[in-house]
Amino acid sequence: MKKAVMSAALMTAVAFTGVAEDKIVIDGSTTVGPIAKAFAEYFMAAHPGVNITVSESGSGNGAKSLINGVCDIADMSRPMKNSEFKAAIDNGIQPVAHAVALDGLPILVHPKNPVQELTIEQIRSIYTGVITNWKEVGGPDMEIVVITRDTNSGTYETFEGLVMNKQKITEKAEYVGSNGAVRQRVQSTPAAIGYAGLGFVDKTVKALRVNGIYPSAATVRTGEYPIARPLFMYTNGYPELGSAVYQFVTLYLSEDGQEIIDEIGFIPVTSY
Amino acid sequence: MRLETRRLLDRAFSGLGVIAIGVMALALIVILTPIIVKGSGAFVFRSTVEHRKVMFDQWDRGNPQRIEADKAAAAEARQPVYDMLSAFDAELKAMPRKERSLYKKPLRELEKALAELLGPVPGEHTPVLIRQQYGATRWDRAKIKLDELLYTEDWDYSNPDALGVLVKTPRVEQFRGTALEPLFAYIKENISAMMRPRWTFYWQFLFDTSKDSHIFGGIGPEVLGTIYLTLGAMIFAIPMGVIAAIYLCEYSREGRVVSFLRICISTLAGVPSIVFGLFGLAFFLNTIHISNSKSVLAGSLTLSLLILPTVIRASEEAILAVPHSYKEAALSLGSGRWHTVMTVILPAALPGILTGTVISMGRAAGETAPIIFTAAVSVGRPLMPLEALSQPTPALPWNIYNLSTEHEAVDEIRHVQFGMVFTLVALVLLLNLFAIVMRARISKKLRG
Repeated sequence: MKKAVMSAALMTAVAFTGVAEDKIVIDGSTTVGPIAKAFAEYFMAAHPGVNITVSESGSGNGAKSLINGVCDIADMSRPMKNSEFKAAIDNGIQPVAHAVALDGLPILVHPKNPVQELTIEQIRSIYTGVITNWKEVGGPDMEIVVITRDTNSGTYETFEGLVMNKQKITEKAEYVGSNGAVRQRVQSTPAAIGYAGLGFVDKTVKALRVNGIYPSAATVRTGEYPIARPLFMYTNGYPELGSAVYQFVTLYLSEDGQEIIDEIGFIPVTSY
Repeated sequence: MRLETRRLLDRAFSGLGVIAIGVMALALIVILTPIIVKGSGAFVFRSTVEHRKVMFDQWDRGNPQRIEADKAAAAEARQPVYDMLSAFDAELKAMPRKERSLYKKPLRELEKALAELLGPVPGEHTPVLIRQQYGATRWDRAKIKLDELLYTEDWDYSNPDALGVLVKTPRVEQFRGTALEPLFAYIKENISAMMRPRWTFYWQFLFDTSKDSHIFGGIGPEVLGTIYLTLGAMIFAIPMGVIAAIYLCEYSREGRVVSFLRICISTLAGVPSIVFGLFGLAFFLNTIHISNSKSVLAGSLTLSLLILPTVIRASEEAILAVPHSYKEAALSLGSGRWHTVMTVILPAALPGILTGTVISMGRAAGETAPIIFTAAVSVGRPLMPLEALSQPTPALPWNIYNLSTEHEAVDEIRHVQFGMVFTLVALVLLLNLFAIVMRARISKKLRG
């Protein structure tokens, strides 16, 4: 019994002294999540003393976390809004953007769906509820199931800005909470249409040509593909040089960082 | 009522009871069977040589000589594949440019499918992402990858009025008449020699950290995080709950205030858990800044608020169930109220209190909503106890949700998802079992 107590005490002592020296807390976009997670893995392998935690709760929540000072890095798949900047400044936080990668927003349908191409106007009409049947855009006679992201999402706001042109999304649309959920909904519903980050496209869903352009690294970078955007990490001020946060948010500039972004399916900012 | 009618009613009622229990048992079987069957697949499965490579490279596990022999045997079986690829490369170089470009896309797709099955080509550039440094680690995944390698999937849209039809064509058709033609038959024949499947009991799944966002490794940080959160919630909820119950039963005078308090507690028990989560975020993190990010501490406090009403109600019931004569005897012997509570009432009520708390412990372990905004993250290291005060952690309930909806490679990691569900269910079950055993022992001690 005594021995057990002793060893327990010893273990606690060891546990309490073995505190990691540094931590980085990351919150925000589910689109940037895979990049942040892969960067964290890469970074922690090189710096065993740093604990990086990543949560994927949406761009809006990421911004809120940064404004409230409860995260070090906010992943965002849209730029910060003026109102968020203002709230941040009022809280003594100065948001600095690091554009870590580019992303096209592929329009996803079920691979069974024979439609290969839509124009921006057609997509808008589908999302406003004017076009309700695939027949109207050259497909089979099926009622369109419209999938969209929650309003907290940066992907949603990008889509709203680049496609919807200030028009309201139909009330019949289904709102889901993450990129992965959009893909799951589309891959299980032959009549569905949705949108997600490039890194979430696999062979269970089909990306459409938009205005005749297929989303790819080349067409996104040249701006030919119409629904594209940069992905951001925001920090409070520019991180102190040499700090773990500084090293982390500049990782995307390194060759390995760019390769990671590429391997996950997103587009590095420069062609390395 | 006539005797026969009564009997009939009696029988009908007991029949209904049996049916109800039967339905419940059936539901339990329907729910638990896939959890157990698929969940155990995370622990016991046929691993390929790639799994052993991961274990050796990332965790230093396995006998180096045996691993080397294993790798060498697999590499030998794979060599003809790479030979055929280089032979085809030479063929390509000799081709006129126009013909060569025809093979560009099929070759790229073939190389991708090969890398997913076997890992990167030896001697070539090693990818940065760990998930691309290895082939299929599980035999069941390897068979799927093999199928993807052998067949190309196309959709036939020839009928514009109907849905497309999946057409699987052997990939070999794309390479007829080239050096790659025998490749497909070779791989199909020798897949076992190339992957070397073997039954493995990967018990370390419970303790290993995950590598490359859960694609390799285990669920150690999640299990530890769940334990921290649950214990933390208990540390706050049990003393508060039991003291509140003692006050309500023994000290307070029945009146408007107390019955109002009781109503409040009952209402609190019915508040949806997400409300507690948002309250935790707004109060613990954004108002009193208990830690400067999400943390286990904030999550535990939120969970403890969630289970507090249950603990209070269970303790109250247990205290009220102590026979009045115990208390009267103690008081008549001249002991004070405090003394009576501590030496007579609490020990007698302990089994009931314990049951109530352990049941709420199971609830705390499984709750997702309260920890989303206060404690849980998708990836992170296992924490030391002191770090739990200031750092967030992955936790089983949240990560089950995260991995099955948000993760970028959901289909690749089904076994991890089921493994987590299995572990969480087992954890809660163990807690409940522990409660039953403890209760039985304490009651026995009290009687004896």
